[in-house]
Amino acid sequence: MISKVISGNEAVALGVKLSRVKVIAIYPITPQTYIIEELAAMRDKGELDAEVIRVESEHSAMAAVYGAASAGVRVYTATASQGLLYMHEMIWWVAGSRIPIVMTVGTRAVGAPWNIWNEHTDFMSERDSGWIMAFASTPQEALDLTIQAFKISEDERVFLPMMVGMDGFILSHTKTRVYIPSQEEVDSFLPPRKQPYVLDPEDPVDIGNMFQPIDYMKFRHSMHLAMLNSKEVIKEIGKEYEKKVVPVGSYSSLNESYKLDDAEYALVSMGAWSLDAMQVVDELRNMGVKIGLYRIRYVRPWDEEDIKRKLGDKDGILVLDRSVSFGRGGHLYLELKATLPDVNIKGVVTGLGGVAINKDAISSLTKKFIEGKTDGEWFYPSEVEKVELRNPRYIK
Amino acid sequence: MSLGIRDILNKPRLLPGTSACPGCPENIALKSISMALGENAVFIVVAGCSSIIQGMGPKSTYNYPVLNIAFAAGPAAAAGMAKAFKMRNKNIKPVVWAGDGGTADIGFASLSGAAERNDNILYICVDNEAYMNTGGHRSGSTPFGAKTASTPGGKRENKKDLPLIMMAHHIPYVATASVGYLHDLMEKVKKARNIEGFTYIQVLTPDPYGWMFDPSKTAEVGKLAVQTCYWPLIEYENGKLTISQESMHCLDRRTRKPIEEFLKIQGRYKGVSPEIIKGLEEYIDKMWERIKSIYEGKVIL
Ligand code: SF4
Repeated sequence: MISKVISGNEAVALGVKLSRVKVIAIYPITPQTYIIEELAAMRDKGELDAEVIRVESEHSAMAAVYGAASAGVRVYTATASQGLLYMHEMIWWVAGSRIPIVMTVGTRAVGAPWNIWNEHTDFMSERDSGWIMAFASTPQEALDLTIQAFKISEDERVFLPMMVGMDGFILSHTKTRVYIPSQEEVDSFLPPRKQPYVLDPEDPVDIGNMFQPIDYMKFRHSMHLAMLNSKEVIKEIGKEYEKKVVPVGSYSSLNESYKLDDAEYALVSMGAWSLDAMQVVDELRNMGVKIGLYRIRYVRPWDEEDIKRKLGDKDGILVLDRSVSFGRGGHLYLELKATLPDVNIKGVVTGLGGVAINKDAISSLTKKFIEGKTDGEWFYPSEVEKVELRNPRYIK
Repeated sequence: MSLGIRDILNKPRLLPGTSACPGCPENIALKSISMALGENAVFIVVAGCSSIIQGMGPKSTYNYPVLNIAFAAGPAAAAGMAKAFKMRNKNIKPVVWAGDGGTADIGFASLSGAAERNDNILYICVDNEAYMNTGGHRSGSTPFGAKTASTPGGKRENKKDLPLIMMAHHIPYVATASVGYLHDLMEKVKKARNIEGFTYIQVLTPDPYGWMFDPSKTAEVGKLAVQTCYWPLIEYENGKLTISQESMHCLDRRTRKPIEEFLKIQGRYKGVSPEIIKGLEEYIDKMWERIKSIYEGKVIL
């Protein structure tokens, strides 16, 4: 293991290489492009023993890795924003085939209007597709989760694809110190690929043909159970990763708690700004407020039991969402409400389209919440009067 | 030439009990193509009749491994598969099996991308000239004047010239075939099978239901399409175009069978005006002019 100052994108590319991926489909989209450029360069220099397919769209990127994976090799691709949405159909197809695949999403707002900056709505819009969905909060975690993703996805209790989210620019382009495991360390952790269905004339199987309603429903149920099963698998694999690969992170639980035990209030967040939120917790604790942070690392599976255990007794919970389901609210806020219906939960949708949310902004939001000056769900900053539409006119 | 048919017939790749309609041209095509392909192939079946013909999962009437896939994804999935087999040192050919809708319309970007990259796959377009599986709607490959469920008054646009478009991608092999001439089809598949790179075969598969003719006449309609020169049988290999023996007479307008013989056997053109027939004839003339100029080396693609 060595340590280096690298960006989130570089960290992910290294994780992919160390996982001995055999086929990679690449198509550019900001802010993940650097990952695939890096992989293409590694391949050119002979450092990566993989085939790289330069596809003509994200739909094809997912189709290409799906084809390669179903023919029995470990695969990888990355995308963001419009690209993820363009892939949407194939994302479902992959999950419904129970084929292990790993993908990175460098999160970014979705147009219109055009916006290249960070938010989580693209990522959250794949919530129901049957993929395992983890979200990193540091470049280190992006690397660690990528390597773990292959093992989780290829575990026979799971056999579902897995995506790892990472805040666009904030993590993808920011350099921090990252511990990079050696190939031997990763090899000791990640065995050769296993998968349920392999296309090979030696044993002709069909994938994805027409199913009777009852068989289809059984299959869907199997995906649901696999998602539930994956909770134990993720913890097991996380612990093994800490032991064999990088001992700097903590992966024995799906989500992370910070100063929650004696807390009366809790913040809930996901992604890079969780580190700012931790500082806010420290600051407020110094002022005598008993507050802690619960960081969501896995959107799917959803660790219902842990959330109930850690947050069920709180006087108030504030959920920070970087995504929105229009007319309904932030995704994490809605999930939390469904998990803890009797707890006082407020939610704020903020930081959309790259709006800068720093420690101070989180601090003032949290204070407002503790002082009881908030509604159930609000937008921050909220300046909606500035985006009035033009006067409607009749069209002749 | 012996195709060794007796030998390959013993290894059926299309099992009995498919869900195809009687007289289905895709069944005929698949049966003959599989004889020429041999065993080391994997099929990527793009949404269409063939997704249904194989029957209800988990059973299948295709004695090949099959990846069923969404409409626009076939060539890309096959490209990924080809790379995976290469990494595994396996000589297995990914064969995309797609209808004309999946080829000419929704899957065209993916097709063009795989052709541009010269991925090592065989793409077979079974062209029944409409979206038959959803009820017979027009596609980019439906010919001028044909009545379909979405063009009840006859289509106003010409058929997209896919074989020529594919030739312009400069891939190693492009061919057309018809279920009316199975030996020709099998020879072309055998050839394509052994070529490294992207190969494309478009098979005319007249559909008794969409084209409205008696199911016993599938092969006959497939023959008439060629004899009247509506459907050319050509091959394009290493930049050179050849015309199959069955289509040589089409080079001269005077030796072509009248188009009416092809039209009157089907319901798609029933009661259409003479102008529509003229429009279709013009299309055929122009198509043959193009083929001729490439054949004679006057136009280099
Ligand atoms: S509609 Fe045509 S192509 Fe489809 S199964 Fe019936 S005959 Fe075959």
